[in-house]
Amino acid sequence: MALTITCPICDKRNGYEFRYGGVDKGPRPDEEGLTPTSWCDHVHMNKCVAGIQKEWWFHRDGCGAWFTIYRDTTTNLEVDKPEAN
Amino acid sequence: MFGRYKPLWGKTPRLKSSYDAVIIGGGLHGLATAYFLARDHGITDVAVLEKRYIGFGGAGRNTAIVRANQRTQENVPFYKEALELWPMLTKELDYNLMFFNCGNLNLMHSEAAMNAARMSIATAQFHGIESHLIDAKQCKELVPALNISEDITYPIFGAMYHPPGGIVRHDAVVWGLAKGASKHGVHIHQQTAVTGIGVENSKIVSVDTDHGKINTPRVLLSAGGYSAAISYEMLGVTLPISVLTIQAMVTQPLKPILNHVVSSGTYHAYAQQTLKGEIATGAHMDPWPNYTTQTTAYYIKHQAEALAEMLPCLRGVKFMRHWAGLADMTPDMAPIMDGNDPIEGYYMDCGWGYFGFKSCAATGKYLAQFMASGNCPDMLKPFNLRRFEQHRLMGETAALMDYSPDN
Repeated sequence: MALTITCPICDKRNGYEFRYGGVDKGPRPDEEGLTPTSWCDHVHMNKCVAGIQKEWWFHRDGCGAWFTIYRDTTTNLEVDKPEAN
Repeated sequence: MFGRYKPLWGKTPRLKSSYDAVIIGGGLHGLATAYFLARDHGITDVAVLEKRYIGFGGAGRNTAIVRANQRTQENVPFYKEALELWPMLTKELDYNLMFFNCGNLNLMHSEAAMNAARMSIATAQFHGIESHLIDAKQCKELVPALNISEDITYPIFGAMYHPPGGIVRHDAVVWGLAKGASKHGVHIHQQTAVTGIGVENSKIVSVDTDHGKINTPRVLLSAGGYSAAISYEMLGVTLPISVLTIQAMVTQPLKPILNHVVSSGTYHAYAQQTLKGEIATGAHMDPWPNYTTQTTAYYIKHQAEALAEMLPCLRGVKFMRHWAGLADMTPDMAPIMDGNDPIEGYYMDCGWGYFGFKSCAATGKYLAQFMASGNCPDMLKPFNLRRFEQHRLMGETAALMDYSPDN
């Protein structure tokens, strides 16, 4: 699957240089008041968006940076940050 | 070709305004559940709603391999039953499903893998499933085309040989089940998209479609790779699923050379010769979630490299077709089959990853039992959704194929 990803340091590179790091679910939840359900939500649950999602990537075969991009999961193309966000 | 024709499963009925049960997804799991609901439980007022045409998704895109050599004690008996249902269904549906129990050969490429295979084999034998450990020489005797020399990237140490497995013609299963279900009165509505699910007081009351509203007390979500997105968009229920595109391809047809399914976790490749003579072979999943079902040259190259080493006689053979489908992967590589929690009358059947085809008959049988009685059969209890928050994930990740949700 062809994908070009824009690394903040190395700019546009072939997607196979990167490792997918999961959809961006926000910061790790506070330990205070944490229930098994809310922890499970953070760790396992996905919305499986058919459309644009914000996600983490790791430049494995490159500079080693972790960063987020927006990608459309139905076309597999990187997109600009949506207006709503 | 351009004349009027009616489907094998009879005329398309009109969509009624109410049904006893509505099944979302006209794939194998949906059709099998409808069939068993009508056959075993007298619930014949069932609608199967399919957005495109039956068998569009995973049902027609898998590589038709069936087996019961999984890893854990919860999964193995389930797949064993699924395997035993093929001859019965062939007879009962009066439709040739072309079940060919040629046996599966799962190749091992290290001593560590041989030990892992010993454990899997012990589990299988404990549950009364035939499975043996064989060495490289015995592999060569079973499949003379196999390369057991030392000079390949991953030399073959031996294999887990599982004789009762094999291949089934997947399209025939779709058509056979559709025919069988319709005969019992099930309505199959193709080109009917679900647009919403109505819930009142935590109970299912209706399903909205682009052809009108259906009142129903029971809904089964069995939309394969699309299930997780439907679950979140229509009910706000998130699932522990990642949806990945997985690719497969076939070569030009050849004379019989491969009379077993050969697979290798290390090479990330499996191959079987279809009854038409093509070598059907499967490959990686995309390493990031997407719904594209697009294919890539990247994996054709990978597949060619793997096959050329394992089965050198295939060097120079051309790939003829290449396609992809969706796999909905869970963190523990086991499916989610649950119901009445948190919404009464709402049943889910998803997270099958690449096990959807081999399991369809058993899934249909037990889910029908679940939907008819409202009580979860013992066989399905371990597959509940709450196992993730209880941190009781199954050990299927220890199975001998190394796929994972993030690949």
